[in-house]
Amino acid sequence: MEEISDKELKKLNISELTHLFVDNINEQNLKLIEGIEFLVDENFEKFTQNLKYVIETNTEVRIKKTFEAKIFKSKLMFSKADRLKLFNKINDIKNIGEYFANKMLLYKVVFPDDEFKLQIVSILKSLKKISNDLAAAIKTIRSDLQKSHDICENIKDERRKMRKEEWKLLNRLYNYDMDYLSRTFLYLKELIEDIMMLADHIKSFSEYIQFLATKYLIFD
Amino acid sequence: MTVDIISILVIVLIVLAIALAFSIGANDETLSTLVGAGVIKFRLALIIGGIAVGAGMFSFSFAFVAKTVGADLLGETLTYTDFMLLTVLISSIFWLIIGSFAGIPLSSTHSLVGSIVGVVFVYAITQGEINPETAFNWTKLNNVILGWFLSPAFGLIITFVLFKFLAKSYLSHLKGLDQIEKSEKYFKWLLLFAVIFAEIWVGANSGEALGILYGLLDNGSLSFESYIFFALLCGISSCLGIYIAARYVVRNLASQMINSRPSESLITQISSALILMIATLLSLPISHSHVIVFCIIGMSLAQKKEVDYKGLGKMAIYWILTFPVAAILAGFIYFGFNIFGLT
Repeated sequence: MEEISDKELKKLNISELTHLFVDNINEQNLKLIEGIEFLVDENFEKFTQNLKYVIETNTEVRIKKTFEAKIFKSKLMFSKADRLKLFNKINDIKNIGEYFANKMLLYKVVFPDDEFKLQIVSILKSLKKISNDLAAAIKTIRSDLQKSHDICENIKDERRKMRKEEWKLLNRLYNYDMDYLSRTFLYLKELIEDIMMLADHIKSFSEYIQFLATKYLIFD
Repeated sequence: MTVDIISILVIVLIVLAIALAFSIGANDETLSTLVGAGVIKFRLALIIGGIAVGAGMFSFSFAFVAKTVGADLLGETLTYTDFMLLTVLISSIFWLIIGSFAGIPLSSTHSLVGSIVGVVFVYAITQGEINPETAFNWTKLNNVILGWFLSPAFGLIITFVLFKFLAKSYLSHLKGLDQIEKSEKYFKWLLLFAVIFAEIWVGANSGEALGILYGLLDNGSLSFESYIFFALLCGISSCLGIYIAARYVVRNLASQMINSRPSESLITQISSALILMIATLLSLPISHSHVIVFCIIGMSLAQKKEVDYKGLGKMAIYWILTFPVAAILAGFIYFGFNIFGLT
């Protein structure tokens, strides 16, 4: 994503800053997912490069600071608190992604077999989908809360599917004939759990968006 | 000596009436919706609200609710004595203080009218030549009591209908948060006018203070010029009540209303103001708090939100009890005065 100057940032309004922030965080999520796909392919160089990108970027810090300064003085009395909460929830995704990336960089794992790899890639595909859907849902809040609500329903369905995949993966991991090195086992277990941690947060975020839609929309 | 006691009593009654006007302003929470919505600055809201209440109180002091409380509830041949007015004030204030300590929300209007009924009843019995049946203007009294039941009911209905209409015709067509926020911005400014309108009628329907002064006018203790002067002081006092004392209630309630929609507040304010306006023009003292509670219930019903019927039932019991309890209390106090020959 292109760097944006502080001057340009200050010109943006609350909604535009939120959109920019969510685009930024979504891009980092996608980089993280792509990085793990490189890990699956045992392309450790690109894996490290992608995950370091997730950790090192600081544009979102500047966006966050500009947003906080703006919302504090904003005259949006009516939806101010909800917009701030929404922004903080996006920031939580960034924190989880960063934590996840840092942890994954601790070791370079070799996956046990192709079946395991396929299952991980499948769950990553779902994560990519819900991350993109969440970004779309957040951006649609501004123009169509009903649509946001519906996108979030899809996110919840996809996350449910991921949960089933998670149990399959953990089951496979715990039941390999050969006893893996504890580092490999631990790493893979944490990889699965951290993917789900991110997915769970996205799901909880989507429920918050549905709450907002329920709160603000009036039906005749 | 008797003249001196009566003169002192009249002064005491005037001071109490002005203090009562101050407390009416001090307890007024109408501005909280305006402050919560952040329409205008806090101090400016207090000044505008204060002036509106004061102006409403003074402008309608010549007749209407003040006349009902101060004269029309009594039978044709009867006027209040100064001790009757003193008893009415003591009884209603005492009952309201008990209610406040017990944490029970009570209506000052119900308490005042209940006290009047108690005092007049004891007066009629103890004075011998007055028939308790003719001591009251029953038509007026019945209308006032009927108004207490009808005003909250109409408040509920008007709010329900107004909200449904606004939701169907406009609010349900708003899709995104930006669009909703933008439309609520316009509602915020409409809310300013609705609150000013409501405050005028809150002042106009607050017959407690002016009713006492009107009683003094009716029994000849005050000249018309003096009445106008003290009515003006009551208006100023209620204005000061809002500016000096209501700020705490308003700020506290406003902080809980930051997330509330100005469009919803607008409808409840317009509904309650309409009810207060009609009641005032019909010279019926009603409870503003009862009306606003039912307007909020009407809003909840229109939005299919949950209503705390248990809490409402509890509140209704206190509302119904206020009238007889205040009447009995006032009757006992006035009977006590009678024993000492103070009639």
